[in-house]
Formats: sequence, structure tokens, C-alpha cells
Amino acid sequence: MRPKHVMVDLKGQARSFFRIKSNLFWVFAFPLLLIIIFGAIFSNMGSEAVTLNVQNLDEGTGSQQLLTALNGTGMVKLKFISPATNLDQHIKDNSLAHVMVIPANYSSNLASNVTAPVELRLDETVSTSGTVFNAVNGVVNAINLQMAGGEQHIVIEMGSIVQKRFSFLDFFVPGIIGLTIMTTCVFNVQGTISRFRTNGIFRKLATTPMTPFEWLLSRILWHLFISFLTMAVIMGFGMLIFGMNMSVNLPVVLMIVAGSAMFSALGMIVARFVKNEETASMAANAITFPMMFLSGTFFQLEMMPSYLQQVAAVLPLTYMSQGLRDAMVYDNQAGAYFNLAVVAVIGVIFVIVAVLITKWEEE
Amino acid sequence: MIEVRDLVKRYDDLVAVNGIDLDVSAGEVYSILGPNGAGKTTSVEIMEGLRKKTSGEVRILGHDIEKGQREIRKRIGVLPQSFNAFDYLTVKENIEYFGGLFDKRIATEELIGAVQLQDKRDAWFTNLSGGLKQRVGVAIAMVNDPDLIFLDEPTTGLDPKARREVWEIIRKLKSQNKTVILTTHYMEEAEVLSDHVAIMNEGRFIALGTPRQIIDKHGSGSTCVVKGANAAAADAVRSAGMMYEASNGDLLVRMENKGSLPKLIGLLSASEVTYDEVLIKGSTLEDVFLKLTGKKLAEAEQ
Repeated sequence: MRPKHVMVDLKGQARSFFRIKSNLFWVFAFPLLLIIIFGAIFSNMGSEAVTLNVQNLDEGTGSQQLLTALNGTGMVKLKFISPATNLDQHIKDNSLAHVMVIPANYSSNLASNVTAPVELRLDETVSTSGTVFNAVNGVVNAINLQMAGGEQHIVIEMGSIVQKRFSFLDFFVPGIIGLTIMTTCVFNVQGTISRFRTNGIFRKLATTPMTPFEWLLSRILWHLFISFLTMAVIMGFGMLIFGMNMSVNLPVVLMIVAGSAMFSALGMIVARFVKNEETASMAANAITFPMMFLSGTFFQLEMMPSYLQQVAAVLPLTYMSQGLRDAMVYDNQAGAYFNLAVVAVIGVIFVIVAVLITKWEEE
Repeated sequence: MIEVRDLVKRYDDLVAVNGIDLDVSAGEVYSILGPNGAGKTTSVEIMEGLRKKTSGEVRILGHDIEKGQREIRKRIGVLPQSFNAFDYLTVKENIEYFGGLFDKRIATEELIGAVQLQDKRDAWFTNLSGGLKQRVGVAIAMVNDPDLIFLDEPTTGLDPKARREVWEIIRKLKSQNKTVILTTHYMEEAEVLSDHVAIMNEGRFIALGTPRQIIDKHGSGSTCVVKGANAAAADAVRSAGMMYEASNGDLLVRMENKGSLPKLIGLLSASEVTYDEVLIKGSTLEDVFLKLTGKKLAEAEQ
């Protein structure tokens, strides 16, 4: 092994890599596009109050107390409909999903201790209807309790599973880092090997003192650098534009090293077994595409049917994404190191296989 | 420089190289000539270490081809068939890349000058024409100042001008006392450039020697071409007992000995004989190939 040969190839890659426009797309534009699209869709999820349309026919203080309490929950935003409006027509014309009607005798009924109904019309096909019901129900219960002179014996203290406050993007971004590293490493390495075999560069290299091992090592090192670059770009972008919180620590760095080597070696293996340039690219797609969707990049594994979860359990990207998430978001060291160990073992096996089977000479 | 004894390369049922012997001395240009599929590239790729032989002995620069691979690689330069370098590196960067792989190397600028690519120094390889790419390939093959250079079909696919530019570079290599192994399917190229030629067909060498020796041994001597000859001319040649062929109104008369030419001129000076012009054509390697295989080179490639 001559480090000089590895350096020569690294320098060659550094010079040529970004002259190829498709590389710029896959390393920078592709992950950023995913983040922008998903960030725009999910950045407000859960934080915005649901609009509740209120037609208040009551003129007493009781309805005012109810509305003030509802406002105070922060869960609903009140929008008033004039008492004179024909409600059914108004709902139809404006496609309203959540409407509350306070009847004219609400306050007087309360004052005279007669049951005072509040009408809640909800569109159950809209997912936010539950939120509205909970808000109104909670407030009504509290008022009932207060009027009965009761005392709260059980209280709920709200806490989050995760230590800090996280958004969907915080969950999503480690997956995007894993996904981008996979696609960049697998497709670049497979593409380069197929191309160099077809256009004769391997035959030329085979007549020089450089060995296939030195060449493979240089390719793995280069993609390691690209992987860190990808991570920096994605994180920087996510933090600047969407204000995400995440940390880089030792397991994150080790996971990038192991994952990048694992996927580079996977690209080498694909290129070795499928020699035709186009077929090899199809094979790379066939391997990476299921991983993209089944490895928990875009949604939690728990949301998938159990047989798909079993499929996910044998996909290397599952462990890389989960490990990155554990380390970057959940601060779960044990989980991060477990996933890291899985990726490292698969990585070592892939690299050994790749080194053993990659040959320059043709037979 | 190269010693090959009874080299055989077999692929399942196909015998690509069928027992060839070859001796190449220092400082010569040795051409292996033959149609596509004759086994030229397989033979040189075995000598370059790119393919494994089935049997036989191959020694390059005094080393056994299999045991001495490491030593051999340091001292040979190779322009593989259909050569390509890195598309998105410039000419200069490509030469630097390959130079970096050797301990002994020629300065990049010197090589760029040797193949006259000064103007294209900073152009990406992918943007070069076929002829310029081959010149880069030759420069890269020379990057370690090799004792022995293999050029595998360096002019295939090039236009006549680019082909002649590559010839000039090969002549320059020869003047620097480099040993060059050249494979080609252009007879003229082998004839013009080589000290020795091996004509290959169907895995075997069918003729070996200097171009002159091969032509003298297997050629059919000189031919006098009488263009636009009339019937009287043909009659005169026939009655004089000279060997000839008629082709498209021309007479092709074999020059069997020293006396043949004066004799023919005598016949042509008769008053009833008319013709347009007379020229003398020597035998070529193409004629030799035709004679030895019964096929023209182009037909053999079908």
C-alpha cells in the first residue's frame, strides 16, 4: 500500500468531482429540495391554533366567560359569525369545519341553574376536529366543576417524550442525511466503476503501479469527505431556514464514517456483479429505492404494517437513519451506539467483499 | 526486451492466440499487423499484464510476466486500445495524475511539448477530438520514461491528418531509442513505421521479419501498370510471353527479372500500341496478406 497513490487519486477526484454537474445536484440540490418541500409542509404542524367559528346568540356574561376561557387555551382561534346570519347557508358557502353556537338563553339558563346546551358542529373528516372538541370539552368541564364548587383532585402535568421541543423536521433531517449519503455513495461509486470499466480507464490503471485496493481506499475516503460535506450543508440549511435543533457528537461522526464506507462498498459490489453500465444503474436503483421509503426516512417505522417493519429491519439505511436520529435528536447514546455497531459490522463486511472482488483486469 | 515462446490464449472453445513466438530487441518499432479479431490485442494485453496466458512463456525486460509484474509495470508505458483518460480533468491534470503513480517521471510540461498539446493544456479531456485524445494517451504512456512502450491501435478511428500526427510522435519515440510495440490493422502504417512486422491472422503469425524481408519473401515482385492500354498492347505482351493481368483497361505486367522492364518498354514502343501512362508498383504488405490468406485485409475483418 502506497499512501502516495491514494493521494494522487484523491487529488484527481477533488479536481474533477464538482466539474460534473449531476454531482452538484445529488450532493447539494437534492437534499435541500427535500428539506424545503417537507419543511414547508410540516414546519407549522401542531403549532398553529385551529379556527373555531362561533355564532353567539347570547348577550349575557356567561357566554363571555366561556369564550374567554376558550381563547385562553391557545388551542383554538375564535372567529365570530353575526347572530343575524343564516348559519346553515353560511357553513355551506364557506366550507366551515368547526362551528359553535351559543344559544340566546345561555347566560340566563346558567344563572337559573338550568342545563345550558352549547351546540358544536364538527366535520369529523377533518383531523383538527378532535382538537376543537377537546378544547371545548375541557373548558366546559372546568366551568361545570367551578360552578359545582368542586375541587380538582387529579391534574395532568404535560411533558414531552423528547427533552427539547422537536418538530417533524428535527425527526426528518437525520433521515435525509442518511438517505443522501446512501444515494451519493452508491450511485457515484457504482457509476464510476461501470464507466471506468467501459471506457478503458481501468485497463490503463492496471498497467500502472497503483493497486485496486489503493484505488478503492481513495474512493471510500473521498466519499467520506462528500458525506460530511452533505451533512454540513443539510444541517446548516435546516438550522438557518427552519431553526432546527440538533447536535453533532462522536456517535454522529462515527456513523457518517461507517455509513459512508458501507454504502461506497455497496456501490462497488453492485458494479462488480452487474457489468453492463445501464443495468448496473438499474440495479443500484432497485437496491436504494426500497430503502428510501422503508427505512423510516420520511415517517416513523411504527406507522408501517408489521411485515414492512420486518423488511426495514434488514435494510442498512434503517440503522443509519435511526442511529443518526438517536444521536442528533433524542440524545439516546445507547440507541446510537447500537445502531452504529450494526452499521459498522455491515460496513466492514461490505468493504472486505468489495476489496476481494474488485478487479481491473478482464478475463 | 520481449521474448515470447509458444504463447497460447484460449477462451472456452475459442483459441484467440494459437502458439506465437516473438523476439523484440531494444530500440526498434515492432508492429503486429492483422485484421480485427486476429489476436493482436489479446497478445499485447498478455504482454502488458492485462490478461493471463493459457500457456507458453512470456518475458518482458528480463522478467517473467507473472512473477515480475511489479517491476515490469514501473518500466513499461501502455496506450490501451480505445484509450480514455479522466473526462473532467484537463490534459495537464491527467498527465500529472498518471505521473504521480510512478517514482521516475518526466516533467508534465515536457510531455505536453512532446505531443504538441500546449494549446490544449487546460482543456478538459472530454472536450478533445479523437486525435488529440490519442496524443494525450501517448504522453501518458511516456510519463514514466519507459524502456518499452505498447501502442495498441493508436490510429484506429482517426482521420488521415490525425493519423499522420500520431506517426510523427512514434517516429520521435524511435529517435529517442525507445522500444515500441505497435498493433495496427493499417498495412501502410506498419510498413512506414516498423523495423519489424509480424502479420497475424486467426491467432497465428503468418509472416515475420522486416517489411522488406516479408515483401521479398512472400510478395510477388514489382508490377508495371500500363494504363489505358489498347488491344494491340495486350497482344504484344501476350506474344512476348510475359505474365500479365488485364483490369479495367489497364495491363498489370509482372516484372519477373531485371530484363522485364526494358523488354516491356520495347514492346510498348511499337507504332500500333497506344496507352495513357506507365507506372511501376512494388509489392505491399497488403499483397502479402492477400497471397498468404487468400483474402484482402478488409475482407478478413468481416
